[in-house]
Amino acid sequence: MALRRILVGLVVFGVVSLSGVAAEKFIVASDVAWPPFEWVSAKGEKIGFDLDVMRMIAVLEGYEIEIQDIAFDSIIPAVIAGKVDIGASGFTITAERAQVVDFSSPYWTSDQTVVVRADSGLNVVTALLPGRKVGAQRGTTGAFWVEDNLIAQGVAVELVLYETYPEAVMDLLAGRLDAVIQDQAPSEQAVQQYAGQLTIVGIIKTYEEFGFLVAKGDPKGILPRIERGLKVLKETGAWDNLIAAYFGPSLEAVEAAWEACIDVLRVGKDPVAYAACLAQKVRELSK
Amino acid sequence: MSLTHWLRVWSYFPVLLQGLCVNLSLLGGLLGVGFLLGVILAILEVYGPRPLRILAFGYSWVFRSIPEILLLLLMWFGPARFGLEISPFLAAVIALGLRSSAYQAEIFRGALQSIPVGQMLAARALGLSRPGAVIYVLLPQALRLSLAGWGNEFAVVLKDTTLAYAIGVVEVMRQARYIGSREFPLILPAYLVVALLFLAATYAGLFAIGYAEKKLRIPGLEARR
Amino acid sequence: MLLRVEELHKRYGKEEVLKGVSFSLDKGETKVIIGPSGTGKSTLLRCINRLTEPDRGRIWLEDVEITGPRVNINRIRAQIGFVFQDFNLFTHLTALDNVRLGLIKVKGLSKKEATERAMAELARVGLADKARAYPAELSGGQQQRVSIARALAMDPKLILFDEPTSALDPELIGEVLAVMEELAQSGMTMLVVTHEMGFARSMADEIIFMEKGVIVEQGPPEQLFRTPKHPRTAEFLRRISDLYGGDQ
Repeated sequence: MALRRILVGLVVFGVVSLSGVAAEKFIVASDVAWPPFEWVSAKGEKIGFDLDVMRMIAVLEGYEIEIQDIAFDSIIPAVIAGKVDIGASGFTITAERAQVVDFSSPYWTSDQTVVVRADSGLNVVTALLPGRKVGAQRGTTGAFWVEDNLIAQGVAVELVLYETYPEAVMDLLAGRLDAVIQDQAPSEQAVQQYAGQLTIVGIIKTYEEFGFLVAKGDPKGILPRIERGLKVLKETGAWDNLIAAYFGPSLEAVEAAWEACIDVLRVGKDPVAYAACLAQKVRELSK
Repeated sequence: MSLTHWLRVWSYFPVLLQGLCVNLSLLGGLLGVGFLLGVILAILEVYGPRPLRILAFGYSWVFRSIPEILLLLLMWFGPARFGLEISPFLAAVIALGLRSSAYQAEIFRGALQSIPVGQMLAARALGLSRPGAVIYVLLPQALRLSLAGWGNEFAVVLKDTTLAYAIGVVEVMRQARYIGSREFPLILPAYLVVALLFLAATYAGLFAIGYAEKKLRIPGLEARR
Repeated sequence: MLLRVEELHKRYGKEEVLKGVSFSLDKGETKVIIGPSGTGKSTLLRCINRLTEPDRGRIWLEDVEITGPRVNINRIRAQIGFVFQDFNLFTHLTALDNVRLGLIKVKGLSKKEATERAMAELARVGLADKARAYPAELSGGQQQRVSIARALAMDPKLILFDEPTSALDPELIGEVLAVMEELAQSGMTMLVVTHEMGFARSMADEIIFMEKGVIVEQGPPEQLFRTPKHPRTAEFLRRISDLYGGDQ
């Protein structure tokens, strides 16, 4: 049965993607394994800060989106090839990437953090000495930072790359890594889940800015609409509510709040009320 | 890995099973594509006119040389350049299917070539055309002889289906990563459950192929070594 | 005249296997080709239904030229039975299916008609009870009888036998020869390559002696065996009789 359902779903999906002219619809690509920016809830829903921002802007601007989960490395090629319309996956705006895609204005500023085992006694300096094993997710700013600012500068740490951040954390816990470099929010998430086992020993101030990205030249005219949406979200206070909801509380609390409030957005088509609902619920659940 | 982790992962079992179903439908699709093309290629390689034979060998060479992941990306990105939108699932079926067809062709070719020439002669002497002889006499024998090698290909491509996540097919490995990304401690138990699922799926598949082999067994028709 | 062969030539690389062979066969006739190994007898048979393409020469089946440019060779082959030295039964098919295959796929008979016909032919060679057996479950003699039934079922104008008993254990030769004798007597047109001189002597209307790609001598068995005209024929017959211990 399940197989049948999936097959039917795939056929329907195929048909829909072939005839995607009916309602204006953009495909949003995200590597949905990076809480709190994007992850899959226990109930199988794709949720997270990036994705909710996308959903809210879509409602404001009157288009539909479909979120497609794609490996982080493949998202920019998919945008370039026109397979997807928007990349929303905590992309740091870099000059390199800006040569091949167009970014929205920054919506988030993040720093990199150095996570070690709590019992290792390492600090931010000793954790990154030559010979140390440092883990990072492939294709991420953390990985590039290690290459550019340590290895290229003659600090011969051994960089180990992973497909996903959790795998790096597992190796850190298992003692195969000395440190993991990762964005601040996910790092805090990890430390929260492994309370007492992991600790953040340092923040590397990279002032990276996250942006949503579209194909070079923005052929579908999406960026102005994202900008307009971002502006509305910030002016109405929805933005602050969303940040309060997503950054800090446990994922369980966020998931429960999301379940409770999402219809305000989906059915009620009211992003401002949705963000308020989400923040409110998360606060209640976190008590 | 404590007991509570295992119990928690158990609550995700239906999700993982659903993921495995995606792998299995990918498998079905790609084996089907691979079988059809593989048989045609093998026939061309053994009985085709020279230019077609060279073409078939070239095809085989290309699709056995390019890494799967590259084929997946090419098949997904490539057709869009020509305005052809195909879903990630379809792209994965085609990419992995083309690749499998090259390997399956080698299996079938070996089997066809192991059949004594007398079989073709006898078929032609009866008045069967060359294609008729291949379809009614040589293929039925070759396919039976191919089952063992085919079982091996099945086990290999079943594992390859996990690569499809790179282009956005949410299969079982991806489901396991979802679990791991929201509950870090569950990532290892989740991977272990996936491993068990693959063990079970491979066992079931090989068992079925073994059963078919026994069912279709004909005295005197065995792989010659 | 049922079959006419004119000036047939065939060369494999440097070696010329057939150097201009001509003969003919009337309806209902049995002709036996004898001669040392490697003198082109099997090649000659295979050229007749073009399993091997002749280089030169012409062949007619009744008034149709088999070697003609626009001939449908599959249709011709369906009218010429061929019995191989190694039987070449289809390994994956039962005796019944071996006999039925050509009826269904070449002659277009329904499955029911084909089954009736095939069973009748199997009964004719004494193997109705083996219809469900696979080739590997049959003795060599039984396999060869099935292969004769397979040829007969097509209702051929002519059957070519390429050393039909050479691959058999001595005790199995008799059953195959018995079937062939029965066939010859029933008026089937047959061209047989064999070393079985007993069969040649008793069943052939004419013997063709071939050596080194040419027909050296041909004639009725009595004349050829008793008073061969050509010394090479006499020499061959003497050696054969040493080898096989006379005319059995």
